[in-house]
Amino acid sequence: MSFEWPWQYNFPPFFTLQPNVDTRQKQLAAWCSLALSYCRHHKLYTLDVMEAQESPVFNHKNIDRKLSTDAILIVFEELRKKGNLEWLDKNKTRCLVMWRRPEEWGKLIYQWVSKNGMANTVFTLYELANGDDTESEEFHGLEDWMLIRSLQALQMDGKAEVITMDDGKGVKFF
Amino acid sequence: MHRRGVGAGAIAKKKLAEAKYKERGTVLAEDQIVQMSKQLETFKSNLEEFASKHKQEIRKSSQFRVQFQDMCATIGVDPLASGKGFWSEMLGVGDFYYELGVQIIEVCLALKHRNGGLITLDELHHRVLKGRGKFAQDVSQDDLVRAIKKLKVMGNGFGMIPVGGSYLVQSVPAELNMDHTVVLQLAEKKGYVSVSEIRESLKWERERACHVLDHLLKEGLAWLDSQASGEPQYWLPALFSELTSRDVTPEEANQITP
Repeated sequence: MSFEWPWQYNFPPFFTLQPNVDTRQKQLAAWCSLALSYCRHHKLYTLDVMEAQESPVFNHKNIDRKLSTDAILIVFEELRKKGNLEWLDKNKTRCLVMWRRPEEWGKLIYQWVSKNGMANTVFTLYELANGDDTESEEFHGLEDWMLIRSLQALQMDGKAEVITMDDGKGVKFF
Repeated sequence: MHRRGVGAGAIAKKKLAEAKYKERGTVLAEDQIVQMSKQLETFKSNLEEFASKHKQEIRKSSQFRVQFQDMCATIGVDPLASGKGFWSEMLGVGDFYYELGVQIIEVCLALKHRNGGLITLDELHHRVLKGRGKFAQDVSQDDLVRAIKKLKVMGNGFGMIPVGGSYLVQSVPAELNMDHTVVLQLAEKKGYVSVSEIRESLKWERERACHVLDHLLKEGLAWLDSQASGEPQYWLPALFSELTSRDVTPEEANQITP
């Protein structure tokens, strides 16, 4: 299924940081929404600011408009404030994008576990995110850092326990 | 000593004559009144018959409504003049426009965060029809214009600005004077306008043009595009044609403040 761009994407002023405060608020909200949907659609979990600048999201070649680096950082700051983004370095060149929060991922994973009657089973992280059994699940392909956070969220809920095994980490579900 | 016309007798006679004339006048007036009530009764029952026959048509056909309105105008009747009027109660015309008015307000509110409270009559028409569904009654642009005029009278902050052969419907009480209106009309062609275009077409000074554009930005009716080649452009979401078919997304819906 191809990505559906919102109407703002074809509206040239969308790529100019608006001087009017109220309009800017709407604009930033729309940018946050667009960035998250785009990442969700393409299953992107990390973003590099330099690369993002050239990606179709922030650089709309068809209408010859692009969001400036400053504006991109402002959008990212909004996402950070909302809990959807985390900087990986102090210089703000790379970040983690959480279009789904760890708790939400945890819930999905646990649903799959219950549905398949797999309580009390132990999984390696690899099996869970990359195994054949989970191929059709949304959390398939989930990157390690996010997977661990999701499992930790479940752990807080008493629904799982992250364990260390010989060759890595694993998890037991209750 | 026996002159006629003078004296108590004459006065009394005169008085009697007057009284008789008055009585006659009263009788005449009574006659007329009886006649008139009979006519009115006939008129009323004809009207009731007309109403029941055509009530459906009034609700269904926009063409019929236009003709009906024209006919009313000819005899000096405004079916929408008051909600509880004889005509509107009789024919349900008032109901129709009242409901339409409510629909118009709903559409404008839903899109206000996008276009700042300015929408083309075309887009309004398109969305009202969409909202009514496949089996609902036909609604023409003439209907919309009448309903909006009613809303205007009720003081809902509604107004209509003539642009390019049609109208822009304003649903927020943003203060738009002649200068603003003229710039909107200029912007209608391409959906955006620049300072030079305003100066060229309207022969204004730079300051006047900038003042108007700043106001439109402030009212949320225009967005700034500073990446246009040459000079900044001011775009109006209300005139952005790509917008017409796009639904309000759930995210946008969350931003709506009544």
